[in-house]
Amino acid sequence: MNPSAQGKIYPDVTFIVDPARVAAFRDVVGQRDGVPPTFVSAAEFAAFQDVIDDPALALDFSKVLHGSQEYVYERALVEGERLTVRTRIESIRQRGEVGFLTLVTDLTGSDGGLVCTTRTLMVERT
Amino acid sequence: MNVDEELPRLTRVVTRDDIRAYADVSGDRNALHLDDDVARQEGFDGVIAHGMFTMAHMATCVVAWAGTDTFVERISGHFRATVGVGDTIVAGGRVRAIEGDRATVDAWVQVQRDGQTEWPVRKGEVVLKIGGVRRSAGGP
Repeated sequence: MNPSAQGKIYPDVTFIVDPARVAAFRDVVGQRDGVPPTFVSAAEFAAFQDVIDDPALALDFSKVLHGSQEYVYERALVEGERLTVRTRIESIRQRGEVGFLTLVTDLTGSDGGLVCTTRTLMVERT
Repeated sequence: MNVDEELPRLTRVVTRDDIRAYADVSGDRNALHLDDDVARQEGFDGVIAHGMFTMAHMATCVVAWAGTDTFVERISGHFRATVGVGDTIVAGGRVRAIEGDRATVDAWVQVQRDGQTEWPVRKGEVVLKIGGVRRSAGGP
C-alpha cells in the first residue's frame, strides 16, 4: 500500500436499500424480519470497489483479512431508500510485512442527514 | 432485560453455499471466500467465511433476543480467528450495562477447533436503544 493515500476521499456512490436484496441478506444471516443492521456492509462494498481498484493505493485485496469493524447508526435503514455512501482513508500503517488500512464510511439519506458511520480495518498480509 | 443477563446462544454450521451467498448479498467478492486455490495459497485449508458473515451472525443472535424492532445504535468487534467450511459457529452475549434507555451487550462468536476455543469475533459490542416496547427475557 502507498501510505501517501492516507486522507484520500473517494467519490460518492449511490446505494439503494433494495427490498429484494434485503430479503436475500436476511435469509443468509438468519434474521426473521426488518433490515439486518449489518446490511450496511453491502452499502460499504458499493463504495469499497473504488478503494480496492485504486492504483494510487495499490491494495492487494486477495491478501486482505478483516481486522475489525464498527457501525454507529443514527437511525435504522429503510427499505427502498436511496443512500449516498462516501469512504475516506483514515489511516495507513505498516508494521513489518503487514499493512493496516482504516476506512471510514458515511451513509447519508436523501434528506442529507447522516444515517450510519462505519469504521473498517483491513489487514493486508504479504 | 437485566444487567448480567445471558443471551440465548445461536449456533450454525457454516457451508460453502453460505459463504457464496454472503459474497453475493454483501458484494464482497474477495477470492479468499470464493476460490479454494487462492485460499490455500494464503495458508488456509480452503475458502474462509467473511468476517462480516460471523459478525452478522452475532448481530442476528442479539436482534433475535432483543426483537427486530429494537433500534441498534452501535455494533463493533475484532476478528480474531477465521471460519472455514464445516465449522460450527456459536454466538452469544451478556448484558453489560443498562443506562437510561440504552443497553450495552458484550457479544462474541466462538468456534471449537481441535479442542480449543477460538474467537472469530472477540470483544464484540452491541448497543441497543430500548424503546417503549418492553420484552421479557428469551426473545420476542
